[in-house]
Formats: sequence, C-alpha cells, structure tokens
Amino acid sequence: MSDRRLRAGALAIAGIGICVAGYLTYVHYAGLQPFCAGGGHGCERVQSSSYAKLAGIPVAVLGLAGYVAIAAALLAPGERARLAAAALAVSGFGFSAYLTYLELVVIDAICQWCVTSAVLLTALMVLAVWRLLLLTDDGEPLERGAA
Amino acid sequence: MSSREKQKERARAEREARERAAARAERRRRLLLQLGAVVAVAAVVIGGLILLSQKKDEPNASSGAAVAGVADARAMLRGIPQAGTSLGDPKAPVVLTEFADLQCPFCRDYALNVLPQIVERYVRTGRLRLELRLRRFIGPDSDVAGRAAQAAATRNRMWNFIDLFYRNQGQENSGYVTDAFLSRIATAAGVPASLVVKGNTTAAALEKPMEMAESEAQAAGLESTPSFLIGPAAGEGKALDVQSLDIDAFAKAIEPELKR
Repeated sequence: MSDRRLRAGALAIAGIGICVAGYLTYVHYAGLQPFCAGGGHGCERVQSSSYAKLAGIPVAVLGLAGYVAIAAALLAPGERARLAAAALAVSGFGFSAYLTYLELVVIDAICQWCVTSAVLLTALMVLAVWRLLLLTDDGEPLERGAA
Repeated sequence: MSSREKQKERARAEREARERAAARAERRRRLLLQLGAVVAVAAVVIGGLILLSQKKDEPNASSGAAVAGVADARAMLRGIPQAGTSLGDPKAPVVLTEFADLQCPFCRDYALNVLPQIVERYVRTGRLRLELRLRRFIGPDSDVAGRAAQAAATRNRMWNFIDLFYRNQGQENSGYVTDAFLSRIATAAGVPASLVVKGNTTAAALEKPMEMAESEAQAAGLESTPSFLIGPAAGEGKALDVQSLDIDAFAKAIEPELKR
C-alpha cells in the first residue's frame, strides 16, 4: 500500500479521534453528561471517576492533544515525522489500553466513547508503524523501492 | 554476452540484492530502536503522572488526618429521623430508594451535590423518605465498607456514616478501607468504632440486607450505581429516570410522584 493511502487513512482516523475527544472535552467543561447509547450510566461513571483526570488534566483534553499531535505528525514530511507519528500512536495505544483496563477491572463501567477512542488508536498505531517500518524514505513500499 | 560474463552479472545482482536486504534490515532495526526509545520515555512520563495522580487522591481519613466534612454532614441531617436504612418521616407518602456502592465516585458526586438539596426540599418537609441499599460490586473494599455502614444502621446512624464516607472516599480498590479508616468515620458519625471494624461486621444480620439489596437491584434490572427506585410508601417502586446527576433532573422526576 502506498504512503499516500496510508497517510490519508490515518488522517481520517485521527480526524474522527479529534471529534470524539473534542466532544468529551466540550461536555466536561460545559458540565454536561456525555450521550451514552442505550441509556446506561457507563459513560457518566467513567467520566466522573477519579481516573477521569491525570495530574489534574482531564483525560479528554489529553486525548484531544494527542490526536492533534498525531495529525500534525502525519501531515509533516520525512522519516522523523513518521517516527513521531508512530511513537505518539503507540504511546496513545498504551495509555488507552491502561484506561480500558481501569474501566473493566477498577471502575467496572464501560464508556462507549472511550472504547471508540481505543479502537481508533489501535488502527492509528497499525497504520503509523506500517508507514514507519514498511515504506522507504520516498514513501514507496520497501519491496519495490530502494533502502 | 559470454556465459562467464552472465555469471558475473548474476553474482553482482545477487550481491546487490543481499546488500539492499541488509540495508533494509538495518534501517528497520534502527527505526525500531528509535521508536522503542521514544515510547519508553513516553511510558515513563505517563507512568509518573499516573503515580502522581494516585498519590494526590489518597483519602485524608486513612492517613490519620481529621475526617473531612463532619460539620456539613451534621448540618444536612440535623433533626431528620433515621431508622436503620431509612432517612426521613416514616409516614412520608413517597419513598426514594437508592442503590449505591460506597466505593463508587459517581455515588459520591450524587451524595455531595444532589442529596443535600433533595433532603432540604423533600425529606425535611416530610414529603419523601429515603432508603439506601448498599451493593458491593466494585471490589472487596465495597463489601467491607457496606458491612460497616450496615453496622451503623443498627444505631440509626447509617446516613451520617455514608455521608462522611463519601466525603473521605479514596481510590477504588486501593485497600484504603482499613479498620483505622472505618473507625475514624464511625467515630465522627457518632457510631462506636468497635462496631465497624472488620472482625465485628461478619454477623448474618449485616450480610442479609446486602444480599437483599443485590437481589432487589437485579430484579429491578438496575445494573449500575447510583440507581434509584421511586414509588408510594405502600406500593412498589419503579426505576427513576434521571438524565443527569443534578437537582433539576431529580426534581423533574420526583415531583410528579409527589403529586400523585
């Protein structure tokens, strides 16, 4: 798969991530409860749990910053930008996995928005690492391009 | 081209292919190392922030400090009758039953931000009676805390106990619900500390209400906490449909029941 397609796919996913994290940031500061399909309290419980902030910063804000940073790295050219995008995506995936663990084991509630974000970060990690390791500096697949 | 030249050409092509493959492998190894290094730094930073957050969230009461919120709890409950798990006039026409887990931060938010206004508007005026059903699905600390609260109920001080518990609530399942923590909360709630320590809360009389709370919640299809049932004192309750944990949402759901 070409770099153009991989980058377009990753950017689309990062865009969705920005919308999800942006919505959660908005409801946090507007004092609203996030919409939770099915009418469950999972989203509210997770968002209002003591784990909804990291060092005083709402996790939704951290997520928004992360998605914006990934999008910026995807838009920039060169190997360093691809490395930055992959590192951000892998770190985001790791943090997301930690939050999912908290939801399942500690908080005992599932937030649909957080699950969506976890899926998005997993896909972003795959695409970003693919771009980093399986493409040449010119953005061609390694099998066809020169190393 | 002679056969020998063809052989040379092929050997050169093979050598170049091997060199390209080696260069690709070297590049991949270098990038993986760089990626690993950057992610490791990120993991250390995030891990540090997580530890910092958890340390800041440790409850005051378990670390030996004074119990927070004693005056506020007394002010909210002053003059309102308590009997076991009930708060309010026994003759109140409508009953609001809450299903809670003492470790649940969402229950704490309700207890600290909404409950005082419900008490002031509806319970103090004798229109509504509150009932509390304690669940323990978050973890072992929920069970320990729930039993202690049931012990406080035997002295008609459950609502003081749970209000102070929420005001000093710690991190879920962190093991903060120690005998020392429970003793401080109990003492501040006007309950003898000896009643709430772990060795003294194993009686069937304390276990039974919690088993019943679980059965009642499951029968009503209540899967999370806090959840509520509302209904006439003499009849069955129905699930209270509230969209958010604020007094306006609760008032909207409670007042039609009071008018029936």
